[in-house]
Amino acid sequence: MSIRAEIHKLNLIKIFDPKSVAVVGTNNVKGTVPYDILFNILKSEFTGIVFPVSPAEKSICSVKAYKYVLDIPDPVDLAIIVFPSAVCHMALEQCGQKGIKGVVIISAGFKEVGEKGLEREKQLKQIAEKYEMSIIGPNCLGIINTDPYINLNASFARKMPEEGNIGFLSQSGALCTAVLDYALAKHIGFSKFISFGNKADISEIDFMYYLMEDEKTKVILLYLEEITDGRALMKAAHEVISQSGKPVLILKAGRTEAGARAAASHTGSLAGDDEICDAAFSQAGIIRCDNIEEMFNIAIAFAWQPAPKSNKVAIITNAGGPGVLTTDAAIRDGLRLAEFSEETTREFRKSLPATANIKNPVDVIGDARADRYNIAMNGAFREDGVDGVFVILTPQSMTDIETIAKEVVKVSKQYSKPVYTSFMGESDVAVGINILLSNKIPHYILPESMCRSFSRVYRFYRDLDKDPHPQRIYTDIDTETVHEVLDEAIRNNHLYLSEDEAGKILSIYGLPVVKSQLAASPDEAALISLNIGFPVVMKIISDDIIHKSEVGGVVLNVNSVEEARNTFTSITEHVLQNKPHATIKGIQVSKMVTSGEEVILGIKKDPSFGPVIMFGLGGLYVEVFKDVSFRVAPVDEAIADSMIKQVESSKILTGIRGKAPRDIKAIRECLMRLSQLALECPQIRELDINPLIVLEENKGCYVADARILLDSPDTK
Amino acid sequence: MDRKEIENRVKKVIARVLEIDESEIPYNANFSFDLGASSLQSLRLVAGFQEEFNIEMDEEKSLEVQTVSEAVDFISTYLP
Repeated sequence: MSIRAEIHKLNLIKIFDPKSVAVVGTNNVKGTVPYDILFNILKSEFTGIVFPVSPAEKSICSVKAYKYVLDIPDPVDLAIIVFPSAVCHMALEQCGQKGIKGVVIISAGFKEVGEKGLEREKQLKQIAEKYEMSIIGPNCLGIINTDPYINLNASFARKMPEEGNIGFLSQSGALCTAVLDYALAKHIGFSKFISFGNKADISEIDFMYYLMEDEKTKVILLYLEEITDGRALMKAAHEVISQSGKPVLILKAGRTEAGARAAASHTGSLAGDDEICDAAFSQAGIIRCDNIEEMFNIAIAFAWQPAPKSNKVAIITNAGGPGVLTTDAAIRDGLRLAEFSEETTREFRKSLPATANIKNPVDVIGDARADRYNIAMNGAFREDGVDGVFVILTPQSMTDIETIAKEVVKVSKQYSKPVYTSFMGESDVAVGINILLSNKIPHYILPESMCRSFSRVYRFYRDLDKDPHPQRIYTDIDTETVHEVLDEAIRNNHLYLSEDEAGKILSIYGLPVVKSQLAASPDEAALISLNIGFPVVMKIISDDIIHKSEVGGVVLNVNSVEEARNTFTSITEHVLQNKPHATIKGIQVSKMVTSGEEVILGIKKDPSFGPVIMFGLGGLYVEVFKDVSFRVAPVDEAIADSMIKQVESSKILTGIRGKAPRDIKAIRECLMRLSQLALECPQIRELDINPLIVLEENKGCYVADARILLDSPDTK
Repeated sequence: MDRKEIENRVKKVIARVLEIDESEIPYNANFSFDLGASSLQSLRLVAGFQEEFNIEMDEEKSLEVQTVSEAVDFISTYLP
């Protein structure tokens, strides 16, 4: 942990549990941010002391105001600065002199307005560092702590949210107000509500560590617009999840950017930011959400209900159709319908109408009142094989929605198993939904959302218990030589390494590069091909030629010494006809590998997440369907396996239509070795192995072609 | 127009816009930080100076002017 991070850790405690707060730059103009911030603190009945600081006012909201923060006679734990951006640095400097360690800067007019604003922001950071202060913001809505012993609403949100156990972090202030309104309507409470704006000093990573330690927080939600340091975010999320067992849900804006990328069979253009983000989040155990509704659907399940011990659920419904829909959704989301014991079945047969379906899903029939729900729920909860109960209701004329909702609340309180509900409809069921939500029973308009939320919660806890796979480090690699080759190439501004150069590097890293040698004459080509063994492939090697086939620079299936000699001459002639000024290094003679399945592997250096590894099947699967998978390095055995399995077309590798299965183990090893290369050689910007020819099971694979693009010398 | 006269007229505008007494305006006082001018009042100050001196000031640059002394310097550049 860096010194600044340590300072933030200490200061954040005071920021969220202050004994006194100064609102610096407030005024008496109602309906303005400087006024509303102070007003909200007073209205929320903050348990500490508030000091308005206003150059022009004697008092605000009947509270004595000070001209400068330095005039306040008592110690101050937290300052909320609401001055115009041009003078925030002056206020911050005084806060530093006053010994205030925590500051929230609400004011806009910084990084978001351009170069001048960025300079102002840097100035704030320098002052904060000088006085060992920590800043939230600038350009944010503020912070809220619902703890009744604190009651701090230092924001310009319209209302204080309910107390709860969800910690919410947002880069967007405007989204915060929408979320607060949404949450209030659904009785969703928060432990801490944090708008961090431009994150000039304290970042989402510092907040995540803070919320990890925060006893009031059970679930962490984060809305992000930009990821500054993806690796640090992954590390923090992984630590928070594994150390505290608290789930981290992220709503990351910018999903569609990748959709516009052109299809092309190389890693650089296949790896959109969003795909990499998906992979990185999944690797770190982060639950990525697509929208606010999904985020809160899952969040309330975590926050309000116990963890399910398994994926076996019981469905209780008063309508057949919704029961079937729920069953379909449950199965689709990887859940299982529990089988009831003889005892439960007997009880249901005795107590429910003859027309009821007493197997799972239990249909208590359309005219069911609370008593039937009671019987079905108690039976399901008592059943050993049931680890979650779904209660579905549709509003018939005789359905007593309110009583049934109360029954769900009453019965579920007697058990320590999770219950999720879906009272389908809107107007009539509203009264029941309100009862459920205000009693912390998760409710979903659609049963599909209910199943999906349960599934995400179940998978989170299942994966939490998994043992981490140790990262395999290959020691049979001469890293020094590889670095010498790469650094030398960068010094000479030779950034595009051709097949033979890339092949050498991959060979050193233990990737099975097809046996090949460079021939300088027809006789040498004949000799090399004899040594390698026929058939061979012959290719032109020249820094001036990237697309070899287009200039007649590739000949496949050369089968004799004489053919090899003639091919050398014909390739040279063709190339010189097409590219008269090309400098030819020679003709590469390689073993021709046949009867393999072609896959592609690659490395891309992502500006935020660092080296990323790619896998896909060759040809159409990549070019048309973009059926590829990505993972942030390091890639261990389990990750490599998941990469291969994620690619739909990889089923071909397991042997279909009488074809023999391919050597998947060999691909896995290549992915892990490639991952080590990516991490140990940060000079590589992009690398493509296209194709890697995979032979039958236990027969290995071969790198048939590869290219490397290096960072330019001025890349930091 | 000499500097003293410009200063007096600048203070007069500030006093009117911020509704404070001229005697409470130190020469180096910052409009926002020391005198409590809000963002809107800062815009009114610029408009007030333009009207008072019958000049057309660069809006972006004029908003950077934060003290009486800076205002006197800045307005001087627009006067004959």
